[in-house]
Amino acid sequence: MLLAGGGLAVGAAGTGAAWALTGDSGSSAAAPDPESPETPESPPAPSAVVPPDDDLMREHGVLKRVLLCYREMTSQAQAGGSLNAQHLHDAALVIHDFIEGFHEGLEEGFVFPRLRQAGQVTGTVSTLLLQHARGRVLTQFILAHATAPEVASAGTRGELTAAMQAFVRMYEPHEAREDTVVFPAFRQLLSPQELADLGQHFADLEHQQFGRDEFTAMVGRVAAIEQALGIYDLAQFTPDVTAYEPAQ
Amino acid sequence: MRRTRRVRAAAGPRPGRAACGAVAGTCAAVLLAACGSSAGAGAQSAGKPPGHGPTVKIMARSLPAVGTVLVTSRGYALYMFGPDNHRSVTCTGVCAGTWPPVKLPAGGSLAAGPGVSASLLGSDPDPDGGRVVTYDGWPLYTYTGDIDPGQATGQDIDLNGGDWYVLRPSGQPLIPSP
Repeated sequence: MLLAGGGLAVGAAGTGAAWALTGDSGSSAAAPDPESPETPESPPAPSAVVPPDDDLMREHGVLKRVLLCYREMTSQAQAGGSLNAQHLHDAALVIHDFIEGFHEGLEEGFVFPRLRQAGQVTGTVSTLLLQHARGRVLTQFILAHATAPEVASAGTRGELTAAMQAFVRMYEPHEAREDTVVFPAFRQLLSPQELADLGQHFADLEHQQFGRDEFTAMVGRVAAIEQALGIYDLAQFTPDVTAYEPAQ
Repeated sequence: MRRTRRVRAAAGPRPGRAACGAVAGTCAAVLLAACGSSAGAGAQSAGKPPGHGPTVKIMARSLPAVGTVLVTSRGYALYMFGPDNHRSVTCTGVCAGTWPPVKLPAGGSLAAGPGVSASLLGSDPDPDGGRVVTYDGWPLYTYTGDIDPGQATGQDIDLNGGDWYVLRPSGQPLIPSP
């Protein structure tokens, strides 16, 4: 349990905000069977408050897995295969609800203002904000047109795959830049107590918005899409390196 | 590229949406963005007693693609949120990170720029703390996606549990025809 610290100044005006601490950040997620392909793995229940930047990077993992789904759906469609409207809609909905409706709100409300206030990576922050906005436009387009009748049309299918490609192309460098530049810069601005308080606050916000096991549920939703697309089994991506091994 | 339809029509507040009363500092940037000089040419009184704090001035400006809409004194588009339903601030917590509400500072006052009706200006309590400026009962928000003044990139976006629209000086949301 964390106790309330001295508060954390957030927002461009630096208003002091004391974080509401409930002291209960545990998850009651049941232990999954990671070996069963029928049961997508779930993340372990956190036993301690996750620092805010770690929490955001964990959420980036969900984004990254949806990007892999987008990439696979695009490849299948461009190879002459079908584009399943339900799988596409499910994937875009994870982006809409969890990434755009929650994760990005944390960045926009707590991380970016603090960096701007400190005059750090401000140009990058402006680009990231613009990319959030552009991503939402793409997601709204995908959700609106991911219907069975529309994906049956070659024209719409082409527009949807183009939207997915644009989304993937933008978000791969976007999240990589956040993980390697933006979040480390943010972390340097906060004291250990502020980091702990904000981590608790992020956990509280997630619980308030989604419920206690939502991250686990999100991972499960993405895993189900991966299974439907045939990309869930991690082992399939392990390359055969026989040709690269030194000659005996 | 075709115009994108809305994902959901006038969605109500999502159950369990964050009501984050502790996040008092989240929206401070917007408060400053909306504050203008009370001595601006053409400013009208909002019909309220003058306060001792800064004046929040709501303006009208013609923006590309949307026409004349309400903006902050710095020219940033102002939005209404469907689930607010003309009466209360429901975009709080994480939502307010993306859509910072226009805050009325304690002791502050409201002013209407040319073309804006002072009689439609008001304020509502913010569950996150303080008060939010309203227009014809709609709490007003900016959008973090509007990087520069004069943009309205949040128009007709479905996010955080509802739809977002810019507002005409009449107080009418700009809702596109289906």
